[in-house]
Amino acid sequence: MLDKSRVQRELMDCNRDKEISGVSISLHDGADLTHLCGTIAGPVGTPYEGGTFLIDIQLLSDYPFEPPKMQFVTRVWHPNISSQNGAICLDILKDQWSPALTLKTALLSLQALLSAPAPDDPQDAVVAQQASLHPFLPFLSFHLSLYIRDYRKFAGTARHWTETFAKTATLGIDEKVHKLVEMGFPQDLARTVLETVNGDENAALEKLCSG
Amino acid sequence: MVDDEDFPSSSDVEELEDADFYLSDHDDDIAENVLQDLEDGRQEDCNWSVSSVITKESLLAAQKDDLRKIMELLALSEQHARTLLIHYRWDVERVFELLEQKGKDRLFSEAGLTIYQNKTIDLSSYSDPFTCSICFEDVSSVAITEMDCGHCYCNSCWTEYFIVKINDGQSRRIRCMDPKCNAACDEAIVRSLVNARHPNIADRFERFLLESYIEDNNKVKWCPSVPHCGNAIRVVGDIYCEVECTCGMQFCFSCLSEAHSPCSCIMWEYWRKKCHDESETVNWITVNTKPCPKCHKPVEKNGGCNLVACICGQAFCWLCGAATGRDHTWSTISGHSCGRFKEDQSKRIECARRDLYRYMHYHNRYKAHTDSLKQESNLKETIQGKITISENKESRIKDYSWVINGLNRLFRSRRVLSYSYPFAYYMFGDELFKDEMSQGERDLKQNLFEDQQQQLESNVEKLSMFLEKDFQDFSDEEVMENMKHVINLSSIIDRLCKQMYQCIENDLLYPLQRATHNIAPYKSKGPEKASELSVCWVSNQMRSTKSMVDALPPHVSSAGGTTVAAAKRSWQFHGSSSLDESASSNKLLKKNESKGGGPPLFDLNMPAEVVDKS
Repeated sequence: MLDKSRVQRELMDCNRDKEISGVSISLHDGADLTHLCGTIAGPVGTPYEGGTFLIDIQLLSDYPFEPPKMQFVTRVWHPNISSQNGAICLDILKDQWSPALTLKTALLSLQALLSAPAPDDPQDAVVAQQASLHPFLPFLSFHLSLYIRDYRKFAGTARHWTETFAKTATLGIDEKVHKLVEMGFPQDLARTVLETVNGDENAALEKLCSG
Repeated sequence: MVDDEDFPSSSDVEELEDADFYLSDHDDDIAENVLQDLEDGRQEDCNWSVSSVITKESLLAAQKDDLRKIMELLALSEQHARTLLIHYRWDVERVFELLEQKGKDRLFSEAGLTIYQNKTIDLSSYSDPFTCSICFEDVSSVAITEMDCGHCYCNSCWTEYFIVKINDGQSRRIRCMDPKCNAACDEAIVRSLVNARHPNIADRFERFLLESYIEDNNKVKWCPSVPHCGNAIRVVGDIYCEVECTCGMQFCFSCLSEAHSPCSCIMWEYWRKKCHDESETVNWITVNTKPCPKCHKPVEKNGGCNLVACICGQAFCWLCGAATGRDHTWSTISGHSCGRFKEDQSKRIECARRDLYRYMHYHNRYKAHTDSLKQESNLKETIQGKITISENKESRIKDYSWVINGLNRLFRSRRVLSYSYPFAYYMFGDELFKDEMSQGERDLKQNLFEDQQQQLESNVEKLSMFLEKDFQDFSDEEVMENMKHVINLSSIIDRLCKQMYQCIENDLLYPLQRATHNIAPYKSKGPEKASELSVCWVSNQMRSTKSMVDALPPHVSSAGGTTVAAAKRSWQFHGSSSLDESASSNKLLKKNESKGGGPPLFDLNMPAEVVDKS
């Protein structure tokens, strides 16, 4: 049985200082405590800065004795996160999980992962190849030009993805509706469609266009 | 049975007659002696791996044996010794080595073992009520547990955590719940907490701990029999050996597949794959077909000129494989010319063709001997029938054990022979040892090996011929003649097998530079039958035994004068709750006693002076 009081407590604790920590958790749909939605603010000084990343969180009945299942909903370009489905490669979400860790600490670890990619243990091979040429790895200095170019390429893509996927989602629903109305769609329809796709502007546009 | 016993006494009379009759008696003696000598010699050569069967019953005893060594050396409790051994894969010698190299502290900490010499559990230092940092509940200080590592959580969280781990099958080493802590949880605490809520899960925990001796141990493996016989085999010494479980299953201990010596495990794995997969079919297709340029099905040319037509209707040129029109003469296809010779392609085809023939050569012989072996196993019954007839007929020859001995020799050598073909396939082929030998060297060695193989082969066939003779219809002279052949051939074959193994080990495998291939040594009598484990104090109820270890009954120390083994036994049975369990244990012990057993076992729970006295 899921320990409801613990999860409720965690939600409270986590959201109390969300302004400082940059992570928060909300219920996904209704009052079901097994399906949650986490948000992470992109760490300052990284290509993810300014973005807000949504994490889908599912709790098994054995939580906290089993790790929570977490997955990025917002698309992100990162060596340890699948660019296809948002699956995360992080040890504390697998065998290194401990019941004394919390959803908040897990989200903070994800935030830390965003600022320090670990290309040795990659979930996404393409991204890892670019990121492995990270300027902080001094032993690669003889490949200077190459890795700067590739790291730049990596950071560029990551920044672009942040702009494209992690920032639009932060716009309020009204602003999005407004944008769609400006494109010429009726306001009510735009709002309903936006709601059905969880506020994803691009998906809404696609849906509206396809009729 | 009665007849058997009568036979030696009544043979006194016969013996005189027999002595006259067995003209070649002397020769046979020599043959037997040679055989005996050979076997003795081999015993010395190859007995450096000893296998024993671990049954459900003796598993605990086997485990305790190793535990005791560690407990003795490091002055540990049984549960700590077990944690240590699970981490170091039950390799007692390695623990001893690491103790030298790293010292006790690192040895322990790497295994997640924290031991306080004078630990007093002082839960009063915790506030009451105590807030568990897992469930955030306030609990009374009587319902919390502190591990050896100093981390403290409420009992209900610990229990929940243990149950999840046990159900995941990860209970052989449960880490402390603290995120940074590497310590292993004390198994006694796990046991008592889980048992309080779910006794059946606690039982599973016990079984996992018990089976760790097999699962986490390089020298012990489950018998691969299907359906599983429940036994495991432990090997002391060289793990490259072939063993026979008490259930009759013969297998290679190293790779757990069928006994395949003189093939190495790698060779055997390759060979099995090769025989199963379609690689050779693919080779045949490469050599004999060309893909249709339209539908890409392989097309075999069944005659006619070089314009072939696929069943899909596409016509193409057999020489180059390109699509063409249908308009042609015998020598040209209109609008098409492909006179250019493509050396690469024809070379590739040539290679594939050669590989296929080579494989076929070895596979045919391998299969021929395996099939013969299968047919000859039917021979056993037929021959048993013939022996019965012979024994009942009017004849002076009463002993037909030579037939059975010959038959066993035949089976044994057939196996060797059939597995020697895949061995040769890889030994002298390019798959494994391409760069190991020059072509000249390879030819030389191949000749050497094949000579021996052929000699063995011809003798095995001869033996098979003599064994299949209908000796029950023979006159005594003819039987004698047949017997002489069988005995002589048996001894020759045994010697040849031995020589072939020597050649394989010393001349072929030993000089390899880049790879190490170990093979199970030749045993004249076939895979070694694993003996029952000789440590026999039995208890299925590990918990009862454990509590016995923890709380030593007072009468043991008073057993001062008796031997250690006896003292140990007495407290063992004291703890047995069920009557027939102790009865069966008694039986086993008696058996063990009559055998004499190995070195006496020391009981750590005995005061040192008691051990010394005995």
